[in-house]
Amino acid sequence: MGIVFTRLFSSVFGNREARILVLGLDNAGKTTILYRLQMGEVVSTIPTIGFNVETVQYNNIKFQVWDLGGQTSIRPYWRCYFPNTQAIIYVVDSSDTDRLVTAKEEFHSILEEDELKGAVVLVYANKQDLPGALDDAAITESLELHKIKSRQWAIFKTSAIKGEGLFEGLNWLSNALKSGGS
Amino acid sequence: MSGHDSKYFSTTKKGEIPELKEELNSQYKDKRKDAVKKVIAAMTVGKDVSSLFTDVVNCMQTENLELKKLVYLYLINYAKSQPDLAILAVNTFVKDSQDPNPLIRALAVRTMGCIRVDKITEYLCDPLQRCLKDDDPYVRKTAAICVAKLYDINAELVEDRGFLEALKDLISDNNPMVVANAVAALAEIQDSSARPIFEITSHTLTKLLTALNECTEWGQVFILDSLSRYKATDARDAENIVERVTPRLQHANCAVVLSAVKIILLQMELITSTDVVRNLCKKMAPPLVTLLSAEPEIQYVALRNINLIVQKRPTILAHEIKVFFCKYNDPIYVKMEKLEIMIKLASDRNIDQVLLEFKEYATEVDVDFVRKAVRAIGRCAIKLERAAERCISVLLELIKIKVNYVVQEAIIVIKDIFRRYPNTYESIIATLCESLDTLDEPEAKASMIWIIGEYAERIDNADELLESFLDTFPEEPALVQLQLLTATVKLFLKKPTEGPQQMIQAVLNNATVETDNPDLRDRAYIYWRLLSTDPEVAAKDVVLAEKPVISDDSNQLDSSLLDELLANISTLSSVYHKPPEAFVSCVKAAPRADDEEFADAGETGYSESPSQGVDGASPSSSTGTSSNVPVKQPAAAAPAVAAPIPDLLGDLMGLDNALVPVDEPTASSGPPLPVVLPSTTGQGLQISAQLVRRDGQIYYDISFENGTQGVLDGFMIQFNKNTFGLAAGGPLQVPPLQPGSSARTLLAMVFSQNVSPGAPNSLLQVAVKNNQQPVWYFSDKGSLHVFFGEDGKMERTSFLEAWKSLPDDNEYSKEYPNSVISSIDATVEHLAASNVFFIAKRKNANMDVLYLSAKIPRGIPFLIELTAAVGVPGAKCAVKTPNREFVPLFFEAMESLIN
Repeated sequence: MGIVFTRLFSSVFGNREARILVLGLDNAGKTTILYRLQMGEVVSTIPTIGFNVETVQYNNIKFQVWDLGGQTSIRPYWRCYFPNTQAIIYVVDSSDTDRLVTAKEEFHSILEEDELKGAVVLVYANKQDLPGALDDAAITESLELHKIKSRQWAIFKTSAIKGEGLFEGLNWLSNALKSGGS
Repeated sequence: MSGHDSKYFSTTKKGEIPELKEELNSQYKDKRKDAVKKVIAAMTVGKDVSSLFTDVVNCMQTENLELKKLVYLYLINYAKSQPDLAILAVNTFVKDSQDPNPLIRALAVRTMGCIRVDKITEYLCDPLQRCLKDDDPYVRKTAAICVAKLYDINAELVEDRGFLEALKDLISDNNPMVVANAVAALAEIQDSSARPIFEITSHTLTKLLTALNECTEWGQVFILDSLSRYKATDARDAENIVERVTPRLQHANCAVVLSAVKIILLQMELITSTDVVRNLCKKMAPPLVTLLSAEPEIQYVALRNINLIVQKRPTILAHEIKVFFCKYNDPIYVKMEKLEIMIKLASDRNIDQVLLEFKEYATEVDVDFVRKAVRAIGRCAIKLERAAERCISVLLELIKIKVNYVVQEAIIVIKDIFRRYPNTYESIIATLCESLDTLDEPEAKASMIWIIGEYAERIDNADELLESFLDTFPEEPALVQLQLLTATVKLFLKKPTEGPQQMIQAVLNNATVETDNPDLRDRAYIYWRLLSTDPEVAAKDVVLAEKPVISDDSNQLDSSLLDELLANISTLSSVYHKPPEAFVSCVKAAPRADDEEFADAGETGYSESPSQGVDGASPSSSTGTSSNVPVKQPAAAAPAVAAPIPDLLGDLMGLDNALVPVDEPTASSGPPLPVVLPSTTGQGLQISAQLVRRDGQIYYDISFENGTQGVLDGFMIQFNKNTFGLAAGGPLQVPPLQPGSSARTLLAMVFSQNVSPGAPNSLLQVAVKNNQQPVWYFSDKGSLHVFFGEDGKMERTSFLEAWKSLPDDNEYSKEYPNSVISSIDATVEHLAASNVFFIAKRKNANMDVLYLSAKIPRGIPFLIELTAAVGVPGAKCAVKTPNREFVPLFFEAMESLIN
């Protein structure tokens, strides 16, 4: 009941914090995206062993964005962050074609999680600035996004370095969340 | 936490953990902070909140310093119980170590050091490296300590990442606090490492001396303690150090004062100028005296240290004896220590004053203190010849008070005085005899009886006096019985009349037939034989021989121990008056061997052990890798022994004739033995042993080292059933072991019928027990060659026949790729010494082929063909034997023999 009420309130007032997870394989650009969104600049990063959490305000919505490390050793602990998550930003390195299969497997195993049933999914086909990067259609294909039936999803071409596509995605996300979530 | 937060300790709701979990994940910061406080409160009162680990760690990235500190506190507590999840905190540490706020940087690096999780240490090196070079001294000084903590978890990592060098660089830091912490960290690292890591050079010396004046009191203590390890090159160097350190004597902190005293005392050894030394002694007195106006606990520590200092340099406090006079309200432990020091400082000049004090103490109410005071008078008498008479007159006055325990104590010390000054003060014997019937303590009784016996010719009624004790002879304690026996013999020799003759009959009868005490019985028999063979000459020569004069025992520590203790002034060592290794078990521990290396140690430890130091006893030799150290780890040894315990215990408890109590000591020496029971397992008792063969007899060469605080005696040994049926051939002869002492003995072994079934092995499972400790079990892996008999030699023809008669299935061979045979003759000789006998040899190309034979008990022969090229690594051994199950053991033994 409580959740229904909060949802109701949120859609009325629309200024609560939404909890968002940024997931993806290692070296996909998650941390860079987080700080690009938060500070609007490119920071030099090292592999995230653990997590980063920042608050990003956009479109009158406060996003509490959790950027989780993507290394194999840390992926099992993603599940610790699943509860109460409204949205997932899944970041894919579009130029790393070799590991797209792994990215797909991780992606679908996340979607099967009970605790994430209601979460909206936003996919960033990142690193579009790199030569040989696949476009959004190809990534949609590789990740088999069409199989997603029961939730809202969208994919955006992004380049965290250049700052392209990120806020378009966030725009979609804020609308999706405002419209009442799943 | 502020004062009103105590409310967080008083929740009584059910389902606390899920509730907390929810609150920790709340979207409101305040709620999260409150939740973390609740978690910390629960943790503080001992509730297990480790299941909230991720939820708490998720609150870690916050700008709120209070919240951050709380989360860090939680991490320190629970990272160990959630080692996998601890990795989630790494990124935050990395971030925090780059925070613009130096407090947060330092907090991060400090917490990192406290999280003792091996998995994440590697990730923490980069932040630590940055913090060591931080602009802010507060961060640097915190990082310095963190290096020492990291060294404790992973020494190799610290060395590989060059943190030691970074620490050494910090000694030259411009901030004295950083210098002090770097020194503290290096000193701690040095303590746990056998290699020289932190050596003070003349360059660092200057840096340290400069930093000394500016840093905090505890920083000063660190620096001073490290400086005390510095060996000055010459007198001038030493004087320079002393000059810089002397101002620290005025410090208000007792630890600083004592550390400064330590350095000055150490450097004084080198200073040649008597003027300087005299001057320094003068300067050290007032600070030491000041220590005695502190709280009683500090006084005690100071007194224990002063006790050492006056043994080394009595002149320092020679004129200050008054400050050691006991105050009526001093705690008893302070009074006792003061008495000790008064005795040490007593001299002809101040003895009158001291005696007045002692006399006063002897009338106080605390019995122990009174006794000690009376003893103190006696010790002064022994120490100061010219004051002896005055001491005795004080003792006599005390005897006249007729307080029972004073009288008894006085008699005990007067006996010592008689020993010290023979034929001087016997006139007082009459007075002593008056209080004869009040004596009820064994030591006093024994002393009185000794006096009567010793001066029997001057005491008219000596026989009556002794006779009065004889009625109760059987009930007396052993101490009194022994003295009675001796005194009666003396009396008889001095007055061979009828009365004493009857007495001696009664006593000897009592002491030989009626008693169970072997000491008493032995002594009685010796007297008896002496008296019956030659009472006039032999007995008198022995019994009435002149006794050596005893001397003052107030400086009882020997000089090398005293020097070691002085070097440890202001530590527990100088309070206990014991060297650190006697009570700190892990100082300079040998590298740890894990299970896998245990197997190696069992095989190679045997042959290597003579050249290896035992368990880090010689730091210089323990630089090798861990697999070279013949220390069997308790964890690895335990499973092997686990199975036979009930069996062994049953044997120990039952009256097996192999189990014989200790009787008398035998000494034996030789190369160090491999440790079979490390002192960490044996609660301080360390046992080293191995099987050896000498003159055709197998012995168990075993040595015990008592690292406990008390005497260990009554050692017994028992062997479990083993392949060869080895059992103890006699009693284990180990004398009672004083703390810190060791004993080694050879225990002859015999072959019994008690043979264990199953595949042969050379494992010997042993149980050792003593009167003070539980039964210790350990297993010792011997080598088969101990069993090679002297009867193993074969004739050429019988060898050939035997070789042919055995089927080829029974032939086994093994390569020893690392063995080098440098000379055939030497090898043959060496093998023959181990009862592997040479039969023939032939040349095959450039290889030498040796034929040898050996035999183990039950007549099992080994026919050996050894092939090797002289000087070239690699040897091949082929063997034929009817009992193939011994072959693996045989190859092991051969390996150790030809290496």
